[in-house]
Amino acid sequence: MAKKRERLEVIKDILVSIKNTRQIKPTRLLYSSNLSPQMFKEYINELITKGFIKLDIDKDEKKSFSLTKKGYDFLQEYRVIESFVDNFGL
Amino acid sequence: MIYDFIIQNREILKIFYGLMVVLICLVIVLRTDRLFRISLHQGIRYFRNAFFFFSLAFLIRYIMGSNVLVPIIHNNYFFIVKVAFEFFLIMAGFFLLYSLLWKKIEVSGESYPSSLFNPVILIFYLFTFSVIFLDLIWNTYSFMFVSQIILFSFASAISFVNYENNSRRHKFLKFYFIAMIFSLIAWVLNALAALLFNWNPLFAINISIINLIIFLIFLLGVINVTKYRG
Repeated sequence: MAKKRERLEVIKDILVSIKNTRQIKPTRLLYSSNLSPQMFKEYINELITKGFIKLDIDKDEKKSFSLTKKGYDFLQEYRVIESFVDNFGL
Repeated sequence: MIYDFIIQNREILKIFYGLMVVLICLVIVLRTDRLFRISLHQGIRYFRNAFFFFSLAFLIRYIMGSNVLVPIIHNNYFFIVKVAFEFFLIMAGFFLLYSLLWKKIEVSGESYPSSLFNPVILIFYLFTFSVIFLDLIWNTYSFMFVSQIILFSFASAISFVNYENNSRRHKFLKFYFIAMIFSLIAWVLNALAALLFNWNPLFAINISIINLIIFLIFLLGVINVTKYRG
């Protein structure tokens, strides 16, 4: 059985999906994240609260997510953060 | 011979020892603070707090509380130093333990906005002030020793489980466990030195050496893990 993804890894996967497309619609992001709608909502709320992503609404009221500078920084340092958390049992 | 040298220059060496620990802790705090600001990871946040509090405890005890640097004064000053030292040292231990436990306590995605004032940390404050109060009443450090021996027994057990589960992939878990065992040994020796050996200088020197080794293990671990970028 596949190992349950760690929280940091899920966040990284969501951010990578957004980064790869620059802007991504919520439904497409939900599919690419492989999360249940409930979990997806929790993660997205957390990422918006932390300032890693932002929700853009265009003039046709269509929603999409894009990465903030904080989100880019996180992705750049992801391996260091992951290694630190794992090595110190945090 | 080296012990004689240390005992003769004890007060000066205590200042150097305090400065070394403070500097080590500050490097750890700066490195981990950067990681926390990028990741907003609560475990990193509590780990950073632990070493910030350790640095304050050693700064207060060995620099501000030094008879050489502060050749004063009023007894109240050293009373405040004792209280502040105990407060920061006990809280640092709690932060370190909680950095290993927070995932089991805080609800995923709903972490507390403040790492210094939240319900769990308030319980730690309450416990810490109770320990300080009891130590003051009996004019001892015994309650602090007992609390820290219990705390580091838990931390040792948790770090052993982490080591058993993931040591192949994450090498520092072994050293983390060793550091926790050393911490436990240092606190037991502290208690023995105070209660049975009347602060025998040889005991105190060995405890200081063990403490320095513990902080160096953490420093090397932090530097090693955070050295590669991108």
